[in-house]
Amino acid sequence: MSEIDKILLSIFQRAFKSITDEMSISLTKTTRSPILCEAKDFVTGLYDAHGQMLEQTENLPILSFSLGPVCKKIIECFGYDIHPGDVIMHNDVFSMGNQNNDVAVFKPIFTDGTLIGWAAAKGHQADIGGSVQGGYNPDATEVWQEALRIPAVKVYDRGVLRKDVWNLIFANIRLQIVAEDIKAQIGACTLGERRLQALVQKYGIDCFEAHKCELFNSTERMMKKEIRSIPNGVYQGEGRAYYDGKHLGTEFSIRVRITVEDESITFDFSESSPQTKGFVNGTYTSTCSAITLTFLQMVNPDIPHNEGMIKPLKYIVPEGTILNASYPAATTFGNHLCPQTADSIFKALATAIPDRVTAGWNHLLCSLFTGVHPRTHRKYVDICFLGMKGGSGALQGDDGYDHIGMIDASGGVLDQDYEMYEQQTPHRILKHEFLMDSAGAGKWRGGLGVVTAIRLGADDTQMVVFGDGDKEPPFGLFGGKSSVCNKISLEYPDGTESVPLSKDIVPDIPAGTIYHQIAGGGGGFGNPKERDIDKVVTDVQNEVCSLQKARDDYGVVFKPDTLDVDQQKTSASRRSE
Amino acid sequence: MYKLGVDVGGTFTDFILISETGETSIHKTLSTPEDPSIGVLNGIHDLAKIIDLTTDGLIGRIDTIVHGTTVATNALLTSRGARTALVTTRGFRDGLEMRRGIREEQYNNHYRNVVPLIPRHLRLTVDERIDSRGDVVTPVDESELLAVAEHLAKEQVEAVVVCYMNAFKNNVHEAKTAQFLRQRLPSCFITASSEVLPSIRFYERVSTAAVNAYIGPVVADYLGSLTRKLDEIEFAGTLLIMQSNGGVVTPEVVRRSPAATVLSGPAAAPTAGAFYARLFDYKNCITIDMGGTSFDASLVIDGECVTSTDGSINRYRIALPALDIATIGAGGGSVGWIDHGGLLHMGPESAGADPGPICYDKGGTRPTCTDASLVLGYLNPDFFAGGRIKLNVERTKQLISEQIAERLDLSLLEAAAGMYRIINSNMAQGVREVSIERGYDPREFLIIVAGGAGPIHAAEICSELEIPMFVVPDVSSIFCAAGMLLGDLKHDYIHSYLVSFSHIDKSHFLELYEAMQETGTETLIKEGVDRDRIDFYPVLDLRYVGQYHEVQLPVSWQDVQVYDLKRIHRAFHCEHNRLFGYSLEEEGTEIELINVRLRVIGRTEKPRFLGGEQGPVSLDSALKERRPVYIPEEGAMKDVPVYDGDVRLGGHTIAGPAVIEKVNTSILVSDSYSCTIDTYGSCIVYKKNAFPDGYRRGHSHQSVEKITDG
Repeated sequence: MSEIDKILLSIFQRAFKSITDEMSISLTKTTRSPILCEAKDFVTGLYDAHGQMLEQTENLPILSFSLGPVCKKIIECFGYDIHPGDVIMHNDVFSMGNQNNDVAVFKPIFTDGTLIGWAAAKGHQADIGGSVQGGYNPDATEVWQEALRIPAVKVYDRGVLRKDVWNLIFANIRLQIVAEDIKAQIGACTLGERRLQALVQKYGIDCFEAHKCELFNSTERMMKKEIRSIPNGVYQGEGRAYYDGKHLGTEFSIRVRITVEDESITFDFSESSPQTKGFVNGTYTSTCSAITLTFLQMVNPDIPHNEGMIKPLKYIVPEGTILNASYPAATTFGNHLCPQTADSIFKALATAIPDRVTAGWNHLLCSLFTGVHPRTHRKYVDICFLGMKGGSGALQGDDGYDHIGMIDASGGVLDQDYEMYEQQTPHRILKHEFLMDSAGAGKWRGGLGVVTAIRLGADDTQMVVFGDGDKEPPFGLFGGKSSVCNKISLEYPDGTESVPLSKDIVPDIPAGTIYHQIAGGGGGFGNPKERDIDKVVTDVQNEVCSLQKARDDYGVVFKPDTLDVDQQKTSASRRSE
Repeated sequence: MYKLGVDVGGTFTDFILISETGETSIHKTLSTPEDPSIGVLNGIHDLAKIIDLTTDGLIGRIDTIVHGTTVATNALLTSRGARTALVTTRGFRDGLEMRRGIREEQYNNHYRNVVPLIPRHLRLTVDERIDSRGDVVTPVDESELLAVAEHLAKEQVEAVVVCYMNAFKNNVHEAKTAQFLRQRLPSCFITASSEVLPSIRFYERVSTAAVNAYIGPVVADYLGSLTRKLDEIEFAGTLLIMQSNGGVVTPEVVRRSPAATVLSGPAAAPTAGAFYARLFDYKNCITIDMGGTSFDASLVIDGECVTSTDGSINRYRIALPALDIATIGAGGGSVGWIDHGGLLHMGPESAGADPGPICYDKGGTRPTCTDASLVLGYLNPDFFAGGRIKLNVERTKQLISEQIAERLDLSLLEAAAGMYRIINSNMAQGVREVSIERGYDPREFLIIVAGGAGPIHAAEICSELEIPMFVVPDVSSIFCAAGMLLGDLKHDYIHSYLVSFSHIDKSHFLELYEAMQETGTETLIKEGVDRDRIDFYPVLDLRYVGQYHEVQLPVSWQDVQVYDLKRIHRAFHCEHNRLFGYSLEEEGTEIELINVRLRVIGRTEKPRFLGGEQGPVSLDSALKERRPVYIPEEGAMKDVPVYDGDVRLGGHTIAGPAVIEKVNTSILVSDSYSCTIDTYGSCIVYKKNAFPDGYRRGHSHQSVEKITDG
């Protein structure tokens, strides 16, 4: 056993991180689908020979905590039939995949004939076959209506492309760019392979192994210390999901029972609703990711992301519930049950660690446009990320973050650049701004939501809507108020308006139609009347808080036609409650 | 004739004067933040005295002044730029503040967005629109511009950014608006985004333009004041300003594009670092530069300074080419404070030059890093800045006791040592950022220490990172000033040209390059460069069709001139494979061009540095005194010898513990270190156990590694 060198330990940890970061930068720069290269809806990672996480770059955390489990499945599946130059592709949600569209590529890494680890990249593909382009099919009841299933499949064998397998896969996917984006993911894994090889060759396999284990141990100790800081007890909370895409008016409950006992924490979701008949169903790994990413927001953010970090977390998510649907259920919506899962956890822990939970975050309500660009005659798929990013919930000591978007990504998924968007789609952006009064009031207010308007520029545009948050606004905590609901609507050229359901397909939208979207803000934290008056004045001056809201929610009254605070009326109004 | 390098920092202004024969004089004065040009002039007067000339006599003999300034950086770091407004397309009021909705620390709910340089109430929108093809959809209306101008006048803004959608394709609306506002608001600094960065991507462009406008008036004021003062003393030579890309330009260019100078001072350090690394047979080095306010660390790899266009300062995005430098708020002026939990912190707040540390006795009341160094015996109260600044020891001790020691229930010594240790660990983290976090092992790099305060801390920083050796160059205290004289004149040009590679219009392509070549050449000739000293470095931003991001592919000027696209085509596939692990050459995938860039370089005459002879002075005669100094390895004060570092000690080796005292810097040779002084006056400080037989030039890093492994 090689001796532990403390500086080297930190060098390994940072080097792993810089490798996965470099893989991530490479993917951003090389992929074609704007979902990947502009919005960064992907994750890159390194794993050891047993599939244990060495480090990840988690642009979209909800994808992230499925890669380790899939890697372990692959090792189990192929046994000794793993060779340098192999590339394995995977998306199957019934073998640890999190979502059909999130397709992973794994590449084993060898030095001197010994398997030392794996590089992996997983991204949300522009299409994955199934009945609806783009993958979101609100009518689906079974996985085959949603997607092509890819269990662990070798697409390269010892460096040679398996053309037949490759062709079979891509014969079942609508867009050529998906094949090219998968090539980019393989490229990113090759970079990861080269860098890890160089690192391990430099220090030797024994040294690498010893320091890896010590890194896992020290990280685990850090995580356990965090868990220890939560009072022992059993805590319960609930989040609610609306409409399964098939039956109007349906509602579902996501219930958690969290047990904290010294250094262990268990998240038990057994009491949640049974699985739905539509595609509003989680998968085991999407749910575990949702739990992990929510919990990570309440611990020291400097803890490294490796196997040691997740070891002390226990998950109970029984099959057959809405968070872990049985084969062969439709599950594409599963990633988007993350906001509700997070709600249940924050609500449960609010009494135990009130200084670490946040009020409710804006829930995702999103649309995906597909069509043919009339200028280039190319098919495109674009998730309207810029429109869907609302605010985060406030917490003790700080306002929520404006326009951060769903908690599944926590600010890791970016808006498309406006000008690039207009080059790549036929649409023209009319408006993308903060929405006045969209933040839940509180001593600390929620993050602001946004309002978006886009003029659609081609006649064949199809819109798929998926999400939630149009029925119930994000909750406030400890006297903080809830914020506003999401809304999507279409204003047709003839002046008529239509509001799609929260899971819906709208085909053949004519050019000239204006797409409107509101993404709500986050919930407030603490009594709004205790908010610093200066902060309210700044928000009013910046036109993100109206005079009326300043008066009604915050008790701050202005002298008529000025931005000067009427001290007398303000103190009176703030005292009144 | 002389060349003068001047580097204005937050606390000190540094000077280096080099004659044609290589004789150097160095000097330091206190910066004068209210008008930094005063400090520059003070220094020139001082220098004249030092070399026994009148100011007139000296200034008449200077042919070039190269100047670096942190005026722009400090305005950004301290939010003291101009009151700036944005005029943008209706519907896009918040793009600047949203930063595309990123939160860099995804799991940290206390992480705040940056405060935008332009607050929302000063972001105005105009009903105009140009579409993605560059066609006008909604023309800009003069009556609306009039209303905008009146509103901005009422708001008393000092600078305005005009940034419209798709202005990279067609800047007619931006140009019209900028012209209109320049007429109506003659005292305002107006920046049109397409003037600063005429390339696609709204966020990058609006952010870069916002930085430009925000610092524009501050930089223009400063340059105006400086050139006026130089005119008064009848300076007839050339004044050049250091840019973020490591090159120098004339003040006229800086006035238009101040955003290209945000790293004006720090950019000189890696430039000088590359020069020194070569002297010590290293290809790779890390330059660390501790000034009064900030600590910079930067890498030189294979002899080249690392450049990127991904830069930002304080998270304010600036998409112009710049040297890659990590900056943290740690300097001699960093203030020590205690948080609610009773933890001691150092910085990032700095007492700067005014009021400065307590010990300067200029009204400073908050304990700083420099104050701690005084208490720990590293600084000589009677010989600070060569004795020009008397340090007040009693007051310093009293205030550190009251504000730090008593509150933490520590002795005075423990408090000062704590401040010292914390700031060292902060700086070690800065070195980690540029090395380990980018996958490099700092132990393989030579550390070059710059900045007056650096050499007191270098041994501890290196100990923490297990780096066995560092070099304090003779000119370390004015390292950036020296680096300025080593920079070339550089101008970067860019034009967006979105076209698929097979449809490039030869004449248009060549016209773009000819235009950039002409502008660059003209500018350089105006700056006094001979035509035969001008070189061209073209870069093409290329990608596969459908990709959103580009590869910046350097190509040869020859290939551009003879229009050899085939070679460029092949080179792109290779570069793509090297960077990203694959290429689509076999698939025959189409390539597209996004931007054409040209860097135009005018090679300057580099000064020679004189090497001295073997030290004529014996070590004993250089011994100034023995005084108690804090030795970190022992955690206690210890009587150590203090040597005069301003006499020629070349060839001598001093075993730690010792202090080498120079006019502008002090070097701590800690207990476990030794120091060998070379014939150039540079101090090579190394772990005793890493070089048991002492240091000799020619030790490469492999031998260092071997020794540390053993």
